[in-house]
Amino acid sequence: MSQDQFGVLDRRIFLKTALVSGAALTAGLPARSLLAAGKAPDTIRVGFFLETKPTMIAKGEGWFDKFAGGKCAWSEAGSGAEINTAMAAKSLDIGLAIGSSPTAAGISQKLPYQLVGMVDNIGPAEDMIVRKAANIKKPADFKGKKVATPFGSTSHFRLLGFLKVNNLTEKDVTVLDLRPDAEVAAWTRGDIDAAYVWSPAKAKMLAAGGESFPTYKELDAKGYVIADLIVAATAFSTAYPDAVTGFLRAYGNALEMWKTKPADAAAIVAKQAGVTPDVARHDMEEYDFVTLDHQLSGDWLGSPGKAGKFAEVLKRTADFLVVQKSIKAAPDLGSFQKAINTTFLAQAAKAKT
Amino acid sequence: MSAIPALGSLWRALGERRVTAVSVLVVMLAWVGATEGGLVDDLFLPSPSSLWDGFLDLVENGYKSRTIWEHAGLSLERVLSGFVTGALVGTFLGLAMGYNRKVEAFFSPLIEFLRPLPQLAYLVLLIVWFGIDETPQIILLFLTALPVSAIAAMDGVKGVSVLRMQAARSMGASEWQVFRYVVFPSALHEIFTGARLAVGVVYATLIAAEIIAGSTGLGWMILDAGRFLRSDYVFVGILAIGIMGLLLDRLLLAIEHRVVHWAGRD
Repeated sequence: MSQDQFGVLDRRIFLKTALVSGAALTAGLPARSLLAAGKAPDTIRVGFFLETKPTMIAKGEGWFDKFAGGKCAWSEAGSGAEINTAMAAKSLDIGLAIGSSPTAAGISQKLPYQLVGMVDNIGPAEDMIVRKAANIKKPADFKGKKVATPFGSTSHFRLLGFLKVNNLTEKDVTVLDLRPDAEVAAWTRGDIDAAYVWSPAKAKMLAAGGESFPTYKELDAKGYVIADLIVAATAFSTAYPDAVTGFLRAYGNALEMWKTKPADAAAIVAKQAGVTPDVARHDMEEYDFVTLDHQLSGDWLGSPGKAGKFAEVLKRTADFLVVQKSIKAAPDLGSFQKAINTTFLAQAAKAKT
Repeated sequence: MSAIPALGSLWRALGERRVTAVSVLVVMLAWVGATEGGLVDDLFLPSPSSLWDGFLDLVENGYKSRTIWEHAGLSLERVLSGFVTGALVGTFLGLAMGYNRKVEAFFSPLIEFLRPLPQLAYLVLLIVWFGIDETPQIILLFLTALPVSAIAAMDGVKGVSVLRMQAARSMGASEWQVFRYVVFPSALHEIFTGARLAVGVVYATLIAAEIIAGSTGLGWMILDAGRFLRSDYVFVGILAIGIMGLLLDRLLLAIEHRVVHWAGRD
């Protein structure tokens, strides 16, 4: 069913582009400005995660549709890898909250998308949980233990970073590939000693005999920064730059609401994600939701023409993935800087509500 | 004019084996043509040379802290454990069901229910019940092989000619003797067919089984490499699974020809 829909949409975009460029040729004007004038796509195909974040405010309140100027067709993704696959198949326009490690992999593999904004800096929201009974007090105690994480995720990347920083190998520690729900199942039976994951799985394990084993500060300092990002298919952002700007603006408004009216924000997010407002609020407090203005600073994405530090994070992540044999090769830093396009973000930040 | 009869005689001259060779050759040529010329991105379909590089790399360096042989060995172990137990229990059950209507009435709803159930549906339940070791994976494969073998054996027993059974009984054979010397040998051909089908479905379920407690096995390797669109490793894994499955199937066929040498000579 979705295939048909996508097919039709592709054709529609194609027709529109053809018409507009035809008109441009006859009028003798540069095609680009006219393309920008055809700013409202009928449908925006968005891959998203059902999670407790301000993205859910903008989704639930219809802000994404309103500001982007088109109806969003939402498809829920199970992992960043799924967003990458859909992007490779040209079946998505925007990937919302894709993790930094799948994004670094996608850019390295020259997937046809650009990084246009950030959802959050993950910080302590994804971290290690250890079973109290396993008696793990220091990194060396992980020897001979079983640690689970969803492979290919940002948590997996951080966990491998943790092992590397502490001179542990996968021979010392058994690293198991388990989806978050399966982790909780295995945890309940006592089959795993630790897990590196996010909530709600994290919260459930903490409640069932787990305690946190904080690793993120040290790992962030050593370059294992992880973040959730917004990517846009290059064909889409070229054809509909205003839609991308509007999409980011909608998220900026949601961030604003979370900051100024957290209780209201949590209530909306809770309804979307199917949890209680308390849980939503608690989950969101663990993330560092970077404002659009701050995303534009040198600490993160940078501004148009002046790439920020985050390109280095992506490069390091990609290099790490190469060592892990997850991807074949990583391009140079310049390629990552080029894959970050902050023009939409700059306009969105300027526009404000 | 003369080209057509020439083609006709060429076609007749081609044995089936040669036709198979032509089919493989056509696919290979299309593959080389599409990939080596840069027509298709490596991401979508790796070229034979990058596949070969991927294979050599896997042989030399292994995949994520294990050698490719370890992955293949673990997969084979799981497949064999699940298949042998599932096929044995399934065959016994099927024989009993074919022989006795009450037994059939008792078990058939369970088997009919189990057979079309997608394994991914009860994956988390298997973890909750049996943990994350080898057990849930083998149980999953066991549950896949069992209904296939059971239904094949049951059909085999039901297909035994009543005339033959009556002939044996009229010569004074006991029920056990009828079963042992008439029913079982007659059903053996179907049982082997069931076993070959079971190997097929067990192999198809391997990836689902290895999702359970990942990080080992060819099925898991395919899944994990797929996450990063490493199509070269994915293809190597698929080829390895395919070849192993084919070899197992041929092995079963050879055993069948030896054991059921009378098949088809009624």
